[in-house]
Amino acid sequence: MYEFSTLGWIKHVVFHPVEGFEDMRWKKQGSIKAALVIVFLLFVAMVANRQLMGFQFNTAYVKVFNIVPLLVQSVVYFFTWVIGNWALCTLFDGEGTLKKICIYSAYALVPYIVCEFISILISNFIVQDERIWMTSVHYLGLIWSVVLMIQAMKAAHQYSFGKTIVSMVFTVVAMLLILFLAILLLSLFQQVYVFGYSIYTEIAYRIRG
Amino acid sequence: MNGNKNPMKKFFGLAMAAVTALSMTTTAFADEPYNSYNYDTWDDPVPSQSVYRVEATITGAEMQLDRLRDRSDPLFYDEEAAVTLSDAADMSWDDDRKELWIADTKNNRIIVLDEELKLKARYYTVEGSGVDGFAAPGGIFVNTSPSLGCQVAYIADTDNSRIVKAKVKSATELEFVQDYTKPDSSLYTIQTFLPKKVLADGAENVYSVVSNISTGSVQFSRDGTFSQYYGANRVQVTAAIVAQRLWRAIASEDQLEGMQRNVPVEYANFDIDIDGFIYTVTEVTTDTDAVKKLNAAGYNIWNNAVGNEYKFGDLAGGQYDALTKKSHNTRLTDVDVSSTKLINVLDYETGRVFQYDSECNLIAIFGTKTSTSDQRGSLSNPNAVESYGDKVFILDGSKNDITVFVETQFGKYVHEAFELYDQGLYTEAKSSWEEVIKRDGGYTTAYIGLGKAALKNEEYSKALKYFKTAYDQDDYDKAFKYTREAFLRENFTLIVIVIVLLIVLVIVRKVMKQKGIRLIKRKPKRLNIEDGFGILGDAEKKAEKAAEEAVDEAEETVGEAAEEAEEAAEEVSVSELEEAADDEEKEGE
Repeated sequence: MYEFSTLGWIKHVVFHPVEGFEDMRWKKQGSIKAALVIVFLLFVAMVANRQLMGFQFNTAYVKVFNIVPLLVQSVVYFFTWVIGNWALCTLFDGEGTLKKICIYSAYALVPYIVCEFISILISNFIVQDERIWMTSVHYLGLIWSVVLMIQAMKAAHQYSFGKTIVSMVFTVVAMLLILFLAILLLSLFQQVYVFGYSIYTEIAYRIRG
Repeated sequence: MNGNKNPMKKFFGLAMAAVTALSMTTTAFADEPYNSYNYDTWDDPVPSQSVYRVEATITGAEMQLDRLRDRSDPLFYDEEAAVTLSDAADMSWDDDRKELWIADTKNNRIIVLDEELKLKARYYTVEGSGVDGFAAPGGIFVNTSPSLGCQVAYIADTDNSRIVKAKVKSATELEFVQDYTKPDSSLYTIQTFLPKKVLADGAENVYSVVSNISTGSVQFSRDGTFSQYYGANRVQVTAAIVAQRLWRAIASEDQLEGMQRNVPVEYANFDIDIDGFIYTVTEVTTDTDAVKKLNAAGYNIWNNAVGNEYKFGDLAGGQYDALTKKSHNTRLTDVDVSSTKLINVLDYETGRVFQYDSECNLIAIFGTKTSTSDQRGSLSNPNAVESYGDKVFILDGSKNDITVFVETQFGKYVHEAFELYDQGLYTEAKSSWEEVIKRDGGYTTAYIGLGKAALKNEEYSKALKYFKTAYDQDDYDKAFKYTREAFLRENFTLIVIVIVLLIVLVIVRKVMKQKGIRLIKRKPKRLNIEDGFGILGDAEKKAEKAAEEAVDEAEETVGEAAEEAEEAAEEVSVSELEEAADDEEKEGE
């Protein structure tokens, strides 16, 4: 039973939100390559949302296009989520490995990405009065993905429903902590760099002069 | 042969080149002492062409105020009469007689200039008013009285605590008609009555901006009785005010008494247009009630609280001042509505005039204020703005002169275009907009105007392009709606055919898959046992039914598809049976 290709498994988990991830776990399926592709597609969806959205809906400031925030909002957030969740759930009897969490989380994002692309497509054919079509597709994808994410985490760690929700909330907290520390580290290293550089210039002047 | 001529030619050529080069560098280029700019869709400042240029600065000498000292002149007043203006606070343009009235505040007099800005009349007092002379008159308004049928002047005689209405008798005499003094009403709770600006509407109601009154302008009826406060400003909601509100809720009576009261800022000045709407300006830093357009009931038509987005003055972060490079807060000090309904708003802080059309679209920004302010077009204490025809006058209370701005050729096209555009004559405005774009490719409204013209002519793709250039999403949306409708109308048949074809294709494919028919024969794959379970029993029935449907569908529409489907229907039963048999065999094994 359940002999699917990689794509087949993605399709299976998306359309079987209740048991899909459990099936996948049971069969020890899921491809890290596919997961990475999905995360990349999430980033592409973010860019497309900004650049290809129908003109009448596009609120982006078109004079500047900075890809870094989009990259942070998609790829960086995703991996922070994965690491945060892994760090937290390892401590709380979660069975998920880092790889598993990465794969399951990425698979859960598929409906969101697909709906995002669909709503971008729709936005090019509708006028502002019909915006509801676009937003409803967008929210459909979002809610679907949230439901899948809960199921994915539940299956990955073999938690109860309540524990899953709690772990997810704390994962968000962990994400904030990680990002805060990362920024702190970055600024500290920058200061160290500046310090080192000023010493270098000082010495350079002494030697020269 | 030409050996002799060549050196001469060379010499002349060199000389010519030198002369040309020198004359190029030494050409005096009269430019405004500021960079013209405008705001784009994102409220970013963008360089623009000048809509106005400085024509002249008129000082007392150029107004011929020395005539006041000339005994032989009919306008003679006194040997010692001041020959310059002094901290003049207000101006009023009488369009019927082409006169510019100036309240020369510190000199306690009223000066009247003609169209050429030469002295025409002067008034030092109003006869029969019981008060001798003026005391720091801060406001003036002149029009033709509907009831008296002659020219009347309303003078806000600030330090005499009165507004006086006077008929013009001659070039030196004003005749008293009516005065408006401190209202004897329980609503008027302030001790002083210091009118700063004055205005009269068509029914000769008199409005006055009075110092220390924050509940709007004081309105008098024609006979001099106080009628009401008109068009109060609102308190701008800031974090401090919200916090204070919370404190007030828990404070005791004694504490409440000690607290600062929140009162709205009073207007700085106002003006009335030919339709009787009153425009007010307030010297506030943000857009709460900065400029208002009040109807007769005192209701603000340009109310941002009901979802409009009217913006006036320099927009947030808009510090496009290459000269001063300073940050500044906009302080709108005067407003003027021209006879063509252009609205000029004067910013005291930067000396800029912001010109808007009747729909509040920004037309132009001109004028400046520099530290030295000794260049033409640069202002020091801009107090009042008035306009006439293609000219805009700015009264400077520190330089004591009037700066005259006159519209450029570019400005002429802009104004023409806006006039037609505001009337909805988009097609007629097209040629003017094109001229505007030729001179300033960054003029946003021009693209919107051209887009609307194109939309009116049903040139949808052109309209879309223009709206996209202007980044006008709402108009783009409208154009897009029409474009889509037109597209659907033109291609309706094609679309229906394509949809039907697609449906047929899907059904045919489904049927073919079910029956295992392939157009290109391939080696049959190993069948999954699970796949066989469900359909084994009633496979034949299902197949037949599907085939019938397919045939029906196909016959109705396209021949090609029908052929395929028929072909399929013929082969269906046989192959299906074979397959089923195969499956059974495998199972058996």
